[in-house]
Amino acid sequence: MSENTTPSAAAVEPVGAPPSPLRETWDYFRKNRGAYVGLIVIAIILFLALTAQWVAPYDPIAQDRAAFLKPPIWMEGADPRYILGTDAVGRDILSRLIHGAQLSVSIGVFVVILSMVSGIVLGMVAGYFRGWVEVAVMRLMDIMLALPSLVMALAIVAILGPGLENAMLAIAIVQLPHYVRLTRASVVSELNKEYVIASQIAGAGHVRQMFVNILPNCMAPLIVQGTLGISSAILDAAALGFLGLGAQPPLPEWGTMLSEAREFVGSAWWVITFPGLCILVTVLAFNLMGDGLRDALDPKMKR
Amino acid sequence: MSFLDTKPGVPLLESDDLVRHYEVNRGFGKPSAMVKALDGVSFTLESQKTLAVVGESGCGKSTLGRQLTLIEKPTSGALKLNGNAVGNLSDKEAKQFRRTVQMIFQNPYGSLNPRKKVGQILAEPVLLNMDNLGRKEREERVHATMAKVGLRPEFYQRYPHMFSGGQRQRIAIARALILEPKVIVADEPVSALDVSVQAQVLNLMMDLQEEMNVAYVFISHDLSVVRHIADDVMVMYLGRVAEKGPTDEIFAKPLHPYTRALLASAPKIDPTQRVKAEPLTGELPSPINPPSGCAFHKRCPFATEECAKVRPELRNFEGREVACHRVEEIA
Amino acid sequence: MALLEVKNLTVEFGSEDKPFRAVDSVSYSVDRGEVLGIVGESGSGKSVSSLAVMGLIDFPGRVSADALTFDGQDLITMPAKRRREITGKDIAMIFQDPMSALNPCFTVEAQIMEALKVHEGGNKKQRRERTLDLLNQVGIPDPKSRMTAYPHQLSGGMSQRIVIAMAIACNPRLLIADEPTTALDVTIQAQIIDLLLKLQEDSDMGLILITHDLALVSEAANRIQVMYAGQLFESGPADSIFAAPRHPYTQALLEALPERSEGHDRLRTIPGVVPGQYDRPQGCLLAPRCRYANEHCVKARPEVSDFNGRDVRCFYPLNDQGQPTGLTADTTTGETV
Repeated sequence: MSENTTPSAAAVEPVGAPPSPLRETWDYFRKNRGAYVGLIVIAIILFLALTAQWVAPYDPIAQDRAAFLKPPIWMEGADPRYILGTDAVGRDILSRLIHGAQLSVSIGVFVVILSMVSGIVLGMVAGYFRGWVEVAVMRLMDIMLALPSLVMALAIVAILGPGLENAMLAIAIVQLPHYVRLTRASVVSELNKEYVIASQIAGAGHVRQMFVNILPNCMAPLIVQGTLGISSAILDAAALGFLGLGAQPPLPEWGTMLSEAREFVGSAWWVITFPGLCILVTVLAFNLMGDGLRDALDPKMKR
Repeated sequence: MSFLDTKPGVPLLESDDLVRHYEVNRGFGKPSAMVKALDGVSFTLESQKTLAVVGESGCGKSTLGRQLTLIEKPTSGALKLNGNAVGNLSDKEAKQFRRTVQMIFQNPYGSLNPRKKVGQILAEPVLLNMDNLGRKEREERVHATMAKVGLRPEFYQRYPHMFSGGQRQRIAIARALILEPKVIVADEPVSALDVSVQAQVLNLMMDLQEEMNVAYVFISHDLSVVRHIADDVMVMYLGRVAEKGPTDEIFAKPLHPYTRALLASAPKIDPTQRVKAEPLTGELPSPINPPSGCAFHKRCPFATEECAKVRPELRNFEGREVACHRVEEIA
Repeated sequence: MALLEVKNLTVEFGSEDKPFRAVDSVSYSVDRGEVLGIVGESGSGKSVSSLAVMGLIDFPGRVSADALTFDGQDLITMPAKRRREITGKDIAMIFQDPMSALNPCFTVEAQIMEALKVHEGGNKKQRRERTLDLLNQVGIPDPKSRMTAYPHQLSGGMSQRIVIAMAIACNPRLLIADEPTTALDVTIQAQIIDLLLKLQEDSDMGLILITHDLALVSEAANRIQVMYAGQLFESGPADSIFAAPRHPYTQALLEALPERSEGHDRLRTIPGVVPGQYDRPQGCLLAPRCRYANEHCVKARPEVSDFNGRDVRCFYPLNDQGQPTGLTADTTTGETV
């Protein structure tokens, strides 16, 4: 009955080409208008941050003693050289905002990287080994979550001393529990899948299992959390800056700028409005993009 | 000692009274219960043969597969590979063991890592167990194995989600084969596949058995598939063996009442093959709280008082092993 | 007049300009007291077609049909509210996974009584009695104590019995069972199928049994319909369709069954896979996998036509010897064995 046996190679026909996962995710992402706008705004901010030295018209800390508190150019009494006006010591607000973007973006990215990497390691270990390791790690995270985040950040900065680096470290610690919990939850659900057992039979050790086999499958929610985390890091850094515990003057950090301008709220609105707007727009853009990413990466939302 | 060397007269794989109990938590304040998922299973597997393990959910057939591939450690009992006891293995022994025993899983959608390319998935066992191979030799081996199971070379760079169920199962088979093992434990390898694709995969498995001299432990609930592929059948019920023997004999004349019920329950296309029998009443008992005596007595039409009290042991009858008190009368 | 009459039912997904036809002009009818079996592999559209009958295809799916009548009433043109009344009361459906068909938060009793309340009314006591009666009917041992059980306390077979009890609660005239036993063990499967057939016979219901299991459908159904990639390929009486298949696909499916094999021989396979959304062939959907296909099959799509009293979608339907008819030597390109 040799005619009844199928030559193995001939039996396999290629499957038609479904869109690649990246392409599919991008298509979903693009349909979400808010997320798309967020992405464009972020691109602009990133561009400004990277090219601040050349784009900004002035040095952000250079003071012009002839132009204190000049209003933006569309107002009466403006100095045409300063588009968005100057602050109380004669620094160009536009230049400070552009350089501030550099600071804010690097705060956001640094905080998220620091907190995500340590969160992934802790969460992975907790979810993979279970048992007392998990109990210890997760209860510690629960305790951290039980404290209001800003209060905890304040406490950490108070211990370490004020300054931008310490503020970033404090924010990273505050954000840590989110990544730990997220990682652990996805690791626990991935652990039961057969591909993990298959690799175990193939002889994969713990480290390989955790970081080569399981981790890539847990990344989608972490990427979303990371995007949202950038915005909350910027916000927290601004809050700490406003309280005088973050970036120290004359660094053009947006929160610090707000704090310096407090006394001029009544007399010179532009000094305080533009940094506030920058924070608002940046945070909003990251949030919109994060939401869009979540919808695009979450298979349950797909049809 | 080496797991790799076959010895004449010694079975390839031997399981002696294998037991696996799980402790289950029954909630706060209650004492934990013991589930006897596998309660004393013995069998031997000769090289190039296929032993089918048949039973319904909860009968312990998948647990058996997990013990045979060392995913879990048995609670008690011994496992012998080429006559050598498999106990606490050193690194070197573990590698030898993995090169001899491999596994295929039921669900080809879950058993392939979605974030890895086919080439990477297939290379993993080689990378971890054959240290002497370089990168180029490894790739050659992957390509050779892909060709063997009928996967085209260009699939090397593709991700699992680009394939249909049947092709994924081919990838899974290739992964199990790449170390050229002597035993493959296949846990319901075709039950997630459509009929036409199932036939392709079964043919492939049979071709590979002849070509590469592997023995299969074929775990399945589908009797027609088992009848087609297996040399010997072991019917399990609630963690114990109900009947064990050559496939043809068991299908021609099932002895244990449970085997009979299984065969009668399976629908048949051919009206002449249909057995009109009353379907089994009752549910599968819970392994947490198994019935006394013979586990099957509550559903068995032949049960007597003795069956409710004394657990029947596996004994020889007409060249087969059957665990039933009344097998002489029934047969 | 048939109980359910479906004519050229089509279900499309995807964009308007490049639609994917999950169901492609399928017609069938079910009578009172009749069991219609629909078999097909995954992606054959067998489940989608019955969901469309139930009105359960949501946006973005588009349903169209020349006729869709239940007991003489047109389901397409009637108001949505009236249709929901019919599909809840007179047509009932059972799904594959009994565990997810039951709400884990409520007891068995509460769920069955809820179904009764919506469609039958009556006071609480009557409904409770009817519930008990139903549980007895579906063969649940000790129904009184099971009334207060939650779904997670029941086994798969028990849960499926409860689901069936809920489905027959309102005395439906048509029951659609979509893979009702696929999640169950063999011995339990036999019990559930026996139960369904008994209920169907007792109340003279129409029953549509959707499954991938050829053997199961051949034992249970009166008439069988074989579907492939959204199309009806063959339909006919259960006792003859598998004895003498007229469509090459039905023939090939049967030959691929291990049950039909002799000893250790290899099974006869159907090469390739069911075409998916992106690779549907232009001609006959089976053409790339059919052993009799020729150039004509690759170019043109066959329509359903009558052949020896059987509906077959093939240019060259098979005769009693399993050989294609109407093929001339010069049109043959594939090997015909």
